Amino acid sequence: MNGPALKPAARIFELALGQMLWGRRALFMAVVAGAPVVLALILRLTFASGSAVFIVNGNRVDTESIFTTAVSVLYLRFIVPALGVYYGTSLIADEIEDKTITYLFVRPISRGAIVLGKYLAYLVCANAVVLPSAAIVFAIAVPVAGMGRLLEMLLQELGRAALGLAAYGALFTLAGVSFKRPLVGGLIFVFGWEQMALVLPGYLRRLTVAYYLQTPETGVFVLLAVVVAAIGASIWTIEHREYVLQQ
Amino acid sequence: MIVTTEHLSKWYGHVSGLNDVSVTVGEGVTGLLGPNGAGKSTFMKIVTGQLRPSTGTLRVFGEPIWGHPEQYQRLGFCPEQDAFYEQMTALAWIAAMARLHGMDQDTADAAARRALATVDMLDVAERKIGSYSKGMRQRVKLAQAIVHDPQLLVLDEPLNGMDPIMRRRTIRLIRDWGREGRSVIVSSHILHEIESMTSTVLLIHNGRVVAEGDIHQIRGLIDAHPHQVSIRAQDPQAVARHLLGGDEVTSVRFEEGVVVVETAKPDAFYTRLTRLAASGEAGPIEEIASPDDTLQAVFSYLVKS
Repeated sequence: MNGPALKPAARIFELALGQMLWGRRALFMAVVAGAPVVLALILRLTFASGSAVFIVNGNRVDTESIFTTAVSVLYLRFIVPALGVYYGTSLIADEIEDKTITYLFVRPISRGAIVLGKYLAYLVCANAVVLPSAAIVFAIAVPVAGMGRLLEMLLQELGRAALGLAAYGALFTLAGVSFKRPLVGGLIFVFGWEQMALVLPGYLRRLTVAYYLQTPETGVFVLLAVVVAAIGASIWTIEHREYVLQQ
Repeated sequence: MIVTTEHLSKWYGHVSGLNDVSVTVGEGVTGLLGPNGAGKSTFMKIVTGQLRPSTGTLRVFGEPIWGHPEQYQRLGFCPEQDAFYEQMTALAWIAAMARLHGMDQDTADAAARRALATVDMLDVAERKIGSYSKGMRQRVKLAQAIVHDPQLLVLDEPLNGMDPIMRRRTIRLIRDWGREGRSVIVSSHILHEIESMTSTVLLIHNGRVVAEGDIHQIRGLIDAHPHQVSIRAQDPQAVARHLLGGDEVTSVRFEEGVVVVETAKPDAFYTRLTRLAASGEAGPIEEIASPDDTLQAVFSYLVKS
């Protein structure tokens, strides 16, 4: 995509950002990102009052462990894929289902700019919700004294979450421009296939995003390649595909 | 010529949407007339580059349009579907559409206000689209089509759901656009509507253009068939009482909040209905619609002959 094509993408970005923030999916995003914060608060209050001690395999669970577990399980295995599926599949598919895509297709901008602008709006929106949520959970769960020591870990986890949002979002944007009802397939992929493949022996786990998020050393490059390839394929698909809207 | 097609066909799988259509459209208003499912929307979607022809060629301003988005700088489209970004205000939405034509924010705002003023919607421009009546939504759709002052306007059933007064205003607006030298392609399944905008028509049936040219040639045929008009009003009984007095009304019946009138003189009837709506004597008239039975009968006759 050349320079002049980025300007229309920026205009679509503005339009899409407003729709995402005030659209029907905003509530879902707020609930999904807000839940771990509430959970962390409850745990924190429980620890502070001394009314409960968490013992796992004979070991007392500290707040540091709670944070790392929250990030790796709640965020990377649930929230990030859920937002990726929910938003990624809807970026174009919702406009097609609502038949509002017509208004964008009859403007002097390439269809690829529509995909790019909407994807960037999703990235900004999702990161603006998920990363502060994770940071707040960190602030709640980790004692002030340990924060400095664990700050590097926090930044790494935030980086993983951002990478996950980018990769899942790109994959499901491609699904959204390619299939009529991509949401169900997307949910099966992240909560069926990915969960299953990760526990299977052999190379099947390499066909998941979650695997590369767990192995950040090499995973970063693979996931960035996935993002570029999926968005490129989405642009190609929307430029060449006919969308027949039912009357 | 603004639009030229040669042996244009469109297939949806095994179903034919458009079949061997060769037409030219120049400046002024051209009516695309045909029953529902005749192929009008398919033709318009191909002309506006949303669909690709299966066979044949299409030229808009002498160039292909599929995959040539720069063409939309000179083309405005008002789709049939009642689809909107419901949470946005009309002003914000139309300004956002204008921005996609390369305008900066101030220019886009000014263009949006101009377009909304043209369709008499400026006073409610800052209300959310979701709160609009069907007729207001139709006008907002028209506004987004003209916001960039296009040379070619393609309007798919633009009068659907409008009240009689707004219908009359919109018809005048479309006529004016044609007189200004724009090319306007407007579809309808109601002959009376098309006739009040233009005398140049393309008659389309089962995906084929069955006739093109002057509308008066089929006028006699249409008059031979009774014409039905469905009127949604707050007080359908009052509307019926007022209309029954005229000799142009053949019969009246009621169906779930609407009064359905049959007339053999549609011109006289519509004139009277518009007067009645303007006077308010029978209360507010919310929507008028015409089933396409009449047109279907005329087309069946044309195809057989």
